[in-house]
Amino acid sequence: MVASAPDAFDLAWQPRLESLLAVGQGAGADLVEIFLERTDHLGVLAEQETITSVSPSFGMGAGIRVFRGDRDGFVSTNDLSDSGLLQALDQALGMLGLLRSSAPAAQFDGLGTLRDFAAAKADWLERCPSLAEATLKLLDGTGRLAHHGRHLQARRGSYSRDWQAVLVAASDGTFARDIRLHQSLGLNVLAADGDHRAGLGRRYGTSGRPDDLRAWDADASAQDVCASVGTMLYADYVEAGQMPAVLANRFGGVIFHEACGHLLETTQVERGTTPFADKVGEPIAHAAVTAIDEGLTDGAFGSLSMDDEGMEPQRTVLIENGILKRFLSDRAGERRTGHGRTGSGRRQSHAFAAASRMRNTFIAAGPHTPDQLIASVDKGLYCKSMGGGSVGPTGQFNFAVEEGYLIENGQLTKPVKGATLIGEAKEVMPRISMCANDLELAAGFCGSVSGSVYVTVGQPHIKVDSITVGGR
Amino acid sequence: MATSAGLNAEALSSRLQQLAQQTGIQQWDLGASCSTDTSVQVDRGEAKQMKGAQRSAITVRVWNGDGLVGITSTSDLSDAGLARALAGARDASAFGNADETPAFSPLATAPLASLEQPLHEPQPILTLLETLKQAERQLLDRHAAIGTVPYNGLAQRSSERLYLNSEGACRHQRLTTASLYLYARAEEAGRKPRSSGAVRLAYGTANLDIQGCIDEAAQRTIAHLDYAPIETGHYTCVFSPEAFLDLIGAFSSLFNARAVLDGVSLSQRDSLGQTLAVPFLSIRDNGLHPGNVGASAFDGEGTPTAPLDLVDGGVLRHFLHSEATARAFGVPPTGHAGMGAKVSVGVDWLEIGATPGSGGGQQGLNRLGHDGPVVVIDSLSALHAGVKASQGSFSLPFDGWLVQGGNSRSIEAATVAGDIRTLLQAIVGFEGEAKVTPDGLCPYVWVEGLSITGEA
Repeated sequence: MVASAPDAFDLAWQPRLESLLAVGQGAGADLVEIFLERTDHLGVLAEQETITSVSPSFGMGAGIRVFRGDRDGFVSTNDLSDSGLLQALDQALGMLGLLRSSAPAAQFDGLGTLRDFAAAKADWLERCPSLAEATLKLLDGTGRLAHHGRHLQARRGSYSRDWQAVLVAASDGTFARDIRLHQSLGLNVLAADGDHRAGLGRRYGTSGRPDDLRAWDADASAQDVCASVGTMLYADYVEAGQMPAVLANRFGGVIFHEACGHLLETTQVERGTTPFADKVGEPIAHAAVTAIDEGLTDGAFGSLSMDDEGMEPQRTVLIENGILKRFLSDRAGERRTGHGRTGSGRRQSHAFAAASRMRNTFIAAGPHTPDQLIASVDKGLYCKSMGGGSVGPTGQFNFAVEEGYLIENGQLTKPVKGATLIGEAKEVMPRISMCANDLELAAGFCGSVSGSVYVTVGQPHIKVDSITVGGR
Repeated sequence: MATSAGLNAEALSSRLQQLAQQTGIQQWDLGASCSTDTSVQVDRGEAKQMKGAQRSAITVRVWNGDGLVGITSTSDLSDAGLARALAGARDASAFGNADETPAFSPLATAPLASLEQPLHEPQPILTLLETLKQAERQLLDRHAAIGTVPYNGLAQRSSERLYLNSEGACRHQRLTTASLYLYARAEEAGRKPRSSGAVRLAYGTANLDIQGCIDEAAQRTIAHLDYAPIETGHYTCVFSPEAFLDLIGAFSSLFNARAVLDGVSLSQRDSLGQTLAVPFLSIRDNGLHPGNVGASAFDGEGTPTAPLDLVDGGVLRHFLHSEATARAFGVPPTGHAGMGAKVSVGVDWLEIGATPGSGGGQQGLNRLGHDGPVVVIDSLSALHAGVKASQGSFSLPFDGWLVQGGNSRSIEAATVAGDIRTLLQAIVGFEGEAKVTPDGLCPYVWVEGLSITGEA
């Protein structure tokens, strides 16, 4: 039977963790890291005028990682008992051909002073809206969709609250704990009128703000969603081809995230899958482009007090005026590629080893107005809202355009649907020739090697001189 | 209740019954799982990462005095964890949906099909590592342009699933599986890098078709080295079995009773019996097919897995159901449910091909012997972003070849776009024998007049 763990990651854990770390070091590991996690999640779904799903969950677990040279072994477990953790450590050591030894650890001086980011956040969970309050707010949202929308066949509102307490201890003395809170709200609609159908959604999310659901302007969100779906319901399919494109601010930043950001993670350097591996100090983008990744913006989805390896986040300038400045790096990335850590070691949960991942990633504002960008295009595509996308192992990316408009003679004209932007980062980055002055951020999720993590994407309006638009 | 030896159904049921009685809960059910995984990745002859995991999870569902349902999930299978889960589910039941309350499946105690699923002992992780190193070496040696295998993994899993309810239903399944994936990256001087790969599944590492995986990954990757852009236009397309199964899977809300009831399917309640596709197309969900490695004998509500004709002769015949949707349609549940306050429904494993006796469309199709240009769609990407299931449209990047006059050349970068209903009516026929893939069974499928966007 699994033993229940203590309710809090407090200093009572220190001797247990030090004992485990000493065992790992004594066995010959270069570095041992233990990540402890407790979670409390609530998901609520409202459809039309009914709450159709309430899904609470809670859990706990540990991830133990052992490094020796460039290699590492990682084991995760739900069993936080002493025997469970020791068994996991043994398994991780065994992956590297190491065995527990009775000899004392020669180079382990114990954990450092606890860096406690959690203490000030201890009441976050109880300050969050109650289940009753959350359901009322969601029903308010779906009701406002009905009020503002036409031809709506389905209306959905969803709320997610993720609370996570973590403690990181490593044999280099790292000892830190934190509490994270992410809340998000989504409104989705499906509109249908005869053969015309359009589906569209928006998501709003923050971190570290227990009261945020209360502050949500449901009416403004519903108006935004209904206006967009009403326009797209009767849109024609876009004509395929090569053309200039202007991408709107906020979630338009997903293109940089997918097309370039992932290629600036040391995970990609390790795999040999980034074309930028040896380009630090060289131009990789148009001189108009400066790009930043940071974990510091108050309330942003990708902000952190510390990363999942116990390091405080930095503001990392990735590209400055088109020149590649540095990569995002985690512990393994630093060991294997030499790029210094940037507080970017992130993971979905204890079940994943941390990897270099983006946090709040955006293209910096430029000198132009959005209208100047649109006015500079004779015939092209304006991407007001982007859907999801992905990047392949050779750097090829693709993005769905959720809400698009034709640009004709420097003016926005009719709405178009069914567009997909495709290309390669190496080729597209030099074609981002204009950046507007209206930088905004948007909450999102990023799935990659260490699972799904909370991120922010962002940009001002940008112009891409030429890109392939898939359509009909 | 969860030990290194696995789940103890009797202890779990007994303890839950005690806790339920203490809190006045009369009706409950539970889904539980535990697994032990080991996996390795390599990078040019060296171990890149070795992973192990022990996981356990339960979802408890309770019915309150008003008959409303609440659930809670947890990875904490301790006594305290179970008690907290039960209390959480009871609290959540206050917000249960009075308009649609799930009940126990009437088939939760019906006999289960017997599955041939041999259990295999796990191999030591260092053995896995050596096996994968050798596979990587062989793949790298296949062609000078193959420089790395950036995405690779060899994994094995031992797992158990349980379904229990307060009326005595008890489902239990043990399973071992193994998987291998190899995705190579190749690059020739002055040319763009190209990538492709292959996957294999089996019940144990010793049974994996490692050589077949290497051969397929090498063949696919090398075949993409000589590439050219394609002109935008409308083409006859030939979907590989994997690509066509991916596409149909992405539009499976067509067959999903949950989506129909929610108004987000292209099908309506009265769509059964209506023509959906060409008159020679059959689509059958059959999770019990021996090619479905890791098949489940029962769904999240304990309903037995069983074959179900979805489309026959081009006509929509049945929907996939949970207990609640089946009750709403007045039919038995079909074994496609998850578990939750609002129970999800999903496809299992599809068999796609010609309807027996229909003639099967145009005969003798052979992409390499075809005169006109055809586009072979080998694999589709970004289905999560490019498929609008509730609207029927898709616009998807793909890897594939342009075949003309018997010559085949890889396409540099392109998307295929269309409407699923139009596509299902534009199927010309099938080529070759149906192939078993991880997602189902399907031959090559010819479709007329699809829109391809290229960069030429």
